[in-house]
Amino acid sequence: MSLAQKYPNEVNQIMAKYPPEHKRSAVMPLLYLAQREEGYVTKDALKDIAQMLDITETDVASIVGFYSLYHDHKAGKYRMQVCTDLPCALRGADKFLADLCGNLGIQVGETTADGLITIEAVTCLAACDKAPMFQTQGPDGIKYHENMTVDKTLELIEALKSAGKEVK
Amino acid sequence: MTKQLTLTIDGVQVTVPEGTLVVDAAKMAGIDIPVFCYHPKMEPAGNCRMCLVEVGRPVIDRATGQAVMENGQPKIQFMPKLETACTNTVSEGMVVLTQTEKVTEGRKGTLEFLLTSHPLDCPICDKGGECPLQNLTVEHGPGKSRFLYDEKQHLAKHVPLGELIWLDRERCIQCARCIRFQDEIVGEAVLGFEARGRMTQIISLSEPGFDSVFSGNTSDICPVGALTTADFRFGARPWELKASASICSQCPVGCNTTFNTRREAKAGGEIVIKRVMPRQNEEVNEIWMCDKGRFAYHYAESAQRLVKPTVRQAKASWTDAFDLVTQTFEASKSDVVVLASGRLSNEDLFNLKSLADGLGGKSILYTDMGGGNLTAQVGVGQGTDLGKLGKGDTILVVASDLYEEAPVWYLRVKQAADRGATLIVANSRHTKLERFARYAIRYANGDEVKTVADLQGDSKIAQEFANAQNAVVFFGSDGLGLNGSANLAAACAKLLQDTKHVGKANNGLIGVWQRANDQGAWEMGFRPEADLASAFKNKIVYIVGADPAGDDPALALALKGARFIVVQDILETLTTHMADVVLPAQAYTEREGTYTSGERRVQRFYAAVPVHGEAKADFAIAGEIGRRLGLNTENGSAMVTFDRLAASVKDFAGLDTNKLAEVKPQWPIVGRGDLYYGGTTYENKQGLGVQLSTAAERGEAVSLPEVRAESALRPREDQLLAVPVTKLYDRGQTVASTELLTQRIGEPTVSLHPETAKRLGVAAGGRVSLAFNGLSAEALVKIDDTISAGVVLVPRSMGLAVREPVSVQVLGLAEAKVS
Ligand code: SF4
Ligand code: SF4
Ligand code: FES
Ligand code: FES
Repeated sequence: MSLAQKYPNEVNQIMAKYPPEHKRSAVMPLLYLAQREEGYVTKDALKDIAQMLDITETDVASIVGFYSLYHDHKAGKYRMQVCTDLPCALRGADKFLADLCGNLGIQVGETTADGLITIEAVTCLAACDKAPMFQTQGPDGIKYHENMTVDKTLELIEALKSAGKEVK
Repeated sequence: MTKQLTLTIDGVQVTVPEGTLVVDAAKMAGIDIPVFCYHPKMEPAGNCRMCLVEVGRPVIDRATGQAVMENGQPKIQFMPKLETACTNTVSEGMVVLTQTEKVTEGRKGTLEFLLTSHPLDCPICDKGGECPLQNLTVEHGPGKSRFLYDEKQHLAKHVPLGELIWLDRERCIQCARCIRFQDEIVGEAVLGFEARGRMTQIISLSEPGFDSVFSGNTSDICPVGALTTADFRFGARPWELKASASICSQCPVGCNTTFNTRREAKAGGEIVIKRVMPRQNEEVNEIWMCDKGRFAYHYAESAQRLVKPTVRQAKASWTDAFDLVTQTFEASKSDVVVLASGRLSNEDLFNLKSLADGLGGKSILYTDMGGGNLTAQVGVGQGTDLGKLGKGDTILVVASDLYEEAPVWYLRVKQAADRGATLIVANSRHTKLERFARYAIRYANGDEVKTVADLQGDSKIAQEFANAQNAVVFFGSDGLGLNGSANLAAACAKLLQDTKHVGKANNGLIGVWQRANDQGAWEMGFRPEADLASAFKNKIVYIVGADPAGDDPALALALKGARFIVVQDILETLTTHMADVVLPAQAYTEREGTYTSGERRVQRFYAAVPVHGEAKADFAIAGEIGRRLGLNTENGSAMVTFDRLAASVKDFAGLDTNKLAEVKPQWPIVGRGDLYYGGTTYENKQGLGVQLSTAAERGEAVSLPEVRAESALRPREDQLLAVPVTKLYDRGQTVASTELLTQRIGEPTVSLHPETAKRLGVAAGGRVSLAFNGLSAEALVKIDDTISAGVVLVPRSMGLAVREPVSVQVLGLAEAKVS
């Protein structure tokens, strides 16, 4: 099913916001819409958006690839995106990331066995002075976690786990 | 005229037009500012920081608006930090310093950063030896890196972006030249960046990968060895290569090219072509070429090459072959019919025509497209340069798919539209150029002539055409055969003549011919013939540079009616199999000569590799036969033949081979010393060619034919009409022998309207059988909702012989069951 078939009202609303000659600007909100359900933009959705906006799939993929907020592959329930750019690295982000992964027994880019957490390394999230830091992306939206330690992070993960159970 | 500004660069005073970038102003003054991301053909991007320089500007007194003086000189204020020469335009009194300590430090720093994750695999890199990164590092680099070797970013090194171009992600320095070329210049954004920072990498998601016929150009302008062609990859080192100037023989654009050759053990110690590169001619192809021209040269090395004459299919000596041909021609004289194609050079065609005329025989041009007599009268005037067309000018492209037929014209016309020219694209279907058209006209098949005639009405488009400062019309044979295209040409000529867009530069008619030198063949007096079967009947047929039997079974049948067949070609074909005598010809890579482009520019090509076997040049063979028949034809030198041609063909009067070899300074400056600037394209040292004048500009009477009211066939209610269209990568002799292109050539595929497909019960990718002209064939199906439901588009030279629109029976075939 195409995006327009799946979310006709929202697609129309988004498209209406941009003049036809600048319709390519609708790419960002459409990408959000596209990854709402699965947590990532599928190949078909990518094609679909390119066609709708009369740009190439490569153009759309470039945008997905540029922003840490868009994803082109499936992940766990929460993405934990640790900034490892230079300023954060100077405040120990690299070590933090390595220790965290060690504790969880996974590598960067992998997902915990229970499907809850995927660890990713990303570039600057504009909280350089509060490193080590990461953002989580999950069903409850995007959240910043600053001045983190591995212990604090493991606590957070426990909390996320039980939160999931409560919902069930 | 644009305002001129004067500035000082490293103490040298330079005066340049307002708006010039500092980097270009320096280049004009002979000062090299190193760049990676900047390219003189594209908008500046400012993302590599290699071009940092010190820039100072005169201090202006706010109150008076005058320059503040200091010791009798204007006071110059330098910016505290270095500035990018590629993004700053010049201003009056600017002072630029490119050799200071600060600048040297800046360059060192930039290179150190660029090299932090560079693999430094120059010894095995195709670019090594002509690599801007390598050269600029040697010149400006720090020599030592402070970065940790173990922390290099590793990325994929052998990524096929489709089957023609390979990407090495570690070598890429993220200059975005390739992305910008595809986006800005070509208008096909099939390359992009993914991710950020040190992970930034090139991606292409098109299907097939890197889906553009201009892809090879990105490897020329890539300042590192990140983009290489599958053809040349690991093929040779640049310093081993010799360069020979040539002209592309694949389409009427006539791109100037360079053959890079070397002697090779793999080829038994022979000299072989390793790659084809563009050669600068700003009025023809600028510094670009298309992938067909770049990759489809392998036919000259094909195993099918003819290397020795045959008589009745048995190997023979040249003497025996010449004897038999001469005797036969002598005995039959006016019964001799010469059928030649626009694959041949002007000299070949001139000698063949002289031979036919000397015998009182007939000379026929092998083509399905007419109108070449009109381009000689109202063609584009001398000095025409599509690169000069812009605001106020109009370009009409009718019945032609320039992207598939003459790619570099597509590029040039698209850019003219970008500069503000009014582009009118008229066709019976969607073509790629339409996206850039101000007016896209879709006519019904059969309405071609009417559509052009309507451009003389009072419509807005008609007005715009009439009032254009300059107007150029490209006409082709998309959906048309000989008759239809000839009539369309007449309509276009009339439109141009009536609106006074003839007889001057940047105005006139251009034929989008099916072969590179069709225009030259028309100039030499060859004319097409609709009914080849009658023309062959009981005749002595001398076929040169054409494979009618292979192209069309009906023509094979027609040839059976001939009394005697002589075939002269470079490759073995179905037609050579039918010949009484076969004469092996040299490929154009093995000899010199000239072609006349669609813009009627006469250009020289030179020999690049040694002759295959006993092959002789076409003009020399025809010349020898002529001599033996007592005609005074030249049989030795192509250039002497050209001089004779110039002395007898009116439009060539006054030309000689030296004039064709003249060059003049061109912008941007390219060449081996300027690789970092324009890329690896070759500088033109061998000639820019000369454009022929038209009858209209010589003030001679122009006599245009009546535009016939009858039009090309239209589809009828109860039947489907098969109409021919051109595909760039087809199964033609000169393309199919390049294995690399097999996938792009693909299977014979016809296009149907969705409704027609539905009625026939087939979907995209399904199969149909077609029956027409007493033949039947199968083809794959493509759906095109822009065509009429009554037509089937059939690609030329793909094994389905449709030379004219013809009624066709189509049946949907059930999918073969996959077990
Ligand atoms: S592949 Fe070459 S041209 Fe493209 S961004 Fe990388 S270095 Fe530049
Ligand atoms: S545009 Fe035509 S002449 Fe130029 S390279 Fe391509 S095929 Fe050859
Ligand atoms: S560098 Fe990590 S948030 Fe800016
Ligand atoms: S920033 Fe000027 S050349 Fe790259």
